[in-house]
Amino acid sequence: MSAARAVTRRAVADSRIRNVSFAGFLGLIAFANVVGYRHTYPTLKERLAFAASFGTNKAVELFYGHPHDLLTVGGYTAWRVGGIGAIIAAVWGLLAAVRALRTEEESGRQELVLAGVLERRAAYLAAVAAIGAGGALLWLALTLGLAAGRLPVGGSAYLALATIASGAVFAGVGAVASQLAATRRVAVELSAAVLVLAFLLRTVADISSGLGGLRWATPLGWSEELRPFADPRPAVLVLPAVTAALLFVAGEAIARGRDVGTGLIQGRDSSEPRLRLLSSPAALALRSQRGSLAGWLAGTGVFALVVGLLSTSFTSANIPESLRRELHKLGGASITTPAGALGFYFVLFVFAFSLFACSQIAAARREEADQELETLLALPVSRTRWLVGRILLAAGCTTFLAFSTGLLAWAGAAGKGAHVSLPRMLEAGANSLPVAFLFLALAAFAFALVPRASVGIAYGLVSVAFVWELFGALLGAPRWLLDLTPYQHVGLVPAQPFRAAAAGIMLGIAAGAAASAVALFRRRDLAGA
Amino acid sequence: MPNGAGTDPIRTNQLTKRYGATVAVDRLDLVVRAGEVYGFLGPNGAGKTTTIRLLLGLHRPTSGSAAIFGIDAWREPVAAHRRAAYVAGEPFLWPALTSAETFAYLARLHGSVDSAYRAELVERFQLDTSRKVRALSKGNRQKIQVIAAFATRADLLLLDEPTSGLDPLMEIAFRQTVLEAKERGQTVFLSSHILSEVEALCDRVGILRRGRLVDEGTLSDLRHLAAQTIEVTFAGPAPDLGPLPDVRVAPAGANALRFEVTGSPQPLLAALAAHPVVDLTSREPSLEEIFLHHYDESGKRVGG
Repeated sequence: MSAARAVTRRAVADSRIRNVSFAGFLGLIAFANVVGYRHTYPTLKERLAFAASFGTNKAVELFYGHPHDLLTVGGYTAWRVGGIGAIIAAVWGLLAAVRALRTEEESGRQELVLAGVLERRAAYLAAVAAIGAGGALLWLALTLGLAAGRLPVGGSAYLALATIASGAVFAGVGAVASQLAATRRVAVELSAAVLVLAFLLRTVADISSGLGGLRWATPLGWSEELRPFADPRPAVLVLPAVTAALLFVAGEAIARGRDVGTGLIQGRDSSEPRLRLLSSPAALALRSQRGSLAGWLAGTGVFALVVGLLSTSFTSANIPESLRRELHKLGGASITTPAGALGFYFVLFVFAFSLFACSQIAAARREEADQELETLLALPVSRTRWLVGRILLAAGCTTFLAFSTGLLAWAGAAGKGAHVSLPRMLEAGANSLPVAFLFLALAAFAFALVPRASVGIAYGLVSVAFVWELFGALLGAPRWLLDLTPYQHVGLVPAQPFRAAAAGIMLGIAAGAAASAVALFRRRDLAGA
Repeated sequence: MPNGAGTDPIRTNQLTKRYGATVAVDRLDLVVRAGEVYGFLGPNGAGKTTTIRLLLGLHRPTSGSAAIFGIDAWREPVAAHRRAAYVAGEPFLWPALTSAETFAYLARLHGSVDSAYRAELVERFQLDTSRKVRALSKGNRQKIQVIAAFATRADLLLLDEPTSGLDPLMEIAFRQTVLEAKERGQTVFLSSHILSEVEALCDRVGILRRGRLVDEGTLSDLRHLAAQTIEVTFAGPAPDLGPLPDVRVAPAGANALRFEVTGSPQPLLAALAAHPVVDLTSREPSLEEIFLHHYDESGKRVGG
């Protein structure tokens, strides 16, 4: 028993930075929204106008999910915070589960634990308990953030629970994926694929008329159907609770039956030599990331196609001044034309490409932490060549991703007969690159300067900048503070023109940061895990 | 084979590396000459791996410098690495590649490879090259590194505990490979814990403790400086010989004494002449004894 407690404590300690970051992030978003809504829509008249327009606006639903009540601070917050919070919680859940249940095993530490007095089931439960502790922290932070914005405590706790519920389900998904895959990377990719599918289902359910029932098919939809502050239906909690429990039980059953250190999906251990993509470190990086690249391509591609197909379905209802203001704050442009909608949603892709850029630097950092880089640099391979190669590879892959997204969004829109030209959509893809390159270079800079903290810093920067873009304006923050986020400076192509000056400045900063990264990296010691 | 002071395969000058308050390598002056096999010994945490990382330019010296064939290891690592090959203590390779793919990749990056010799080594070390690295045991992964390093035919081989994980048969194959490299005039820098290996292969040995070279020389130099052991069995109970210069006495069973002699054995032999000796054996100190002597913090230092 005390051995199990020791394992749980260790796992909690190992994940403390991630848990505290996610909890703080959720809490802040919650607080900002409550305060922001009061600030922006102080009277019932304004709220009615806002609800009338937003309630019928499919485009905004794609983003935040389906609203149930937009007239009260609570209802609005449930919609804005619940929709995005459920996704953040899901990301947290799958990362936490894979960290506790696969990374430990891949590193060989789990073998050490199981060689001790702890049974497999007890070790598994100890890890799950640690995930639960992290989830409790997230729930607490979210409740506090909402309550601090002067929402009723009971309702806040319920909204927080509805939001965290998707975290529990995706922790279960991560737990099962950790049994299927033999490596952390594959486990994360599998769970992420499930999350993308869940998001896609929710999107289709929220936007297509007559398909609202699909909401019941996705854990992200359950969070909406709990209807916090509008028409609470606590019975719905049974769905995420049972699903999470079943997933965890399934994970345990698999864990009990398989060899330690392996996964159910086991590739072949022998093969004929395939000598392609072995000519340089960047080539090998491309070779080993083929799978995740394909995943990113599929994920963003399907989304682009869906956005394209839906771009014609946004009607121009009578849009009051307050909504215009809100939309303007969210990024401008009217979303009632196909071009407007596409421009609006491309901000989401810019965010995705920034995350992709971070994932590339994270892969480079992992190569250093796993000390493969040491093997490499003991050969006649210069640090400059290695890092420049990785940065160029990342930039190249991001570019490819951006253009294929533009192409597929165009294909979807054209299929529905929208008047959007292919060159304009390719321009929309290109338009997203300066921000992605900026974050790529900043991530590389962090990697060179503080290798061990760099991955967290990189993802943190991207997320904070994006959330600031979404919510900063609601808080009535001064212009110069809002301008700090790069997303603020992206022209909404194809609805708006490309902002060359801003792009030039961002590319300039990116080039400077990348050059400094290379110079710094040449001067530091290699840092292990 | 190049020679002369500027082109020694390894030369460090007051090489020092600190990590925060810890001094890992302390004003190290190390010279390895062309064509020799140099054994690098030291207890865990003595700074052996740090020294090798500095020699490879992976870590930056806090002060002093390290050079490979006269090329500064930190400033011009790529030029230095063209003339060297490295085997790390832990085999960090690419899990998804097979051995054959790993060989192709490493050869491509190093630029020089003797494919025929590599095939011979694969045969010698009995490696299945179609297996993926992730499916190999530590010993088999270690073989990949060893084969890849020797197949480069580099002028200098930097080996950090290369045989950790190899079975005794493979250990023999490894020794043969080192001796072949030596015959070809290659220089070998061998950091090892396996004393029999060092004893069998190395021309010179350096002992590192707390980042400093505490002893260095050929094996016979080191032996000469260390104590000689003489065991004597008497016909009756062992007598008390009284104090003798440079001699330590310890009982060695019934009727027997063990003497550790650091100077001339003459006074001891004179003292023994008066007693009924039935058996006398004398042996040189093993490397292990020299080694333990230096490792043991409380041990009195000999030589160095």
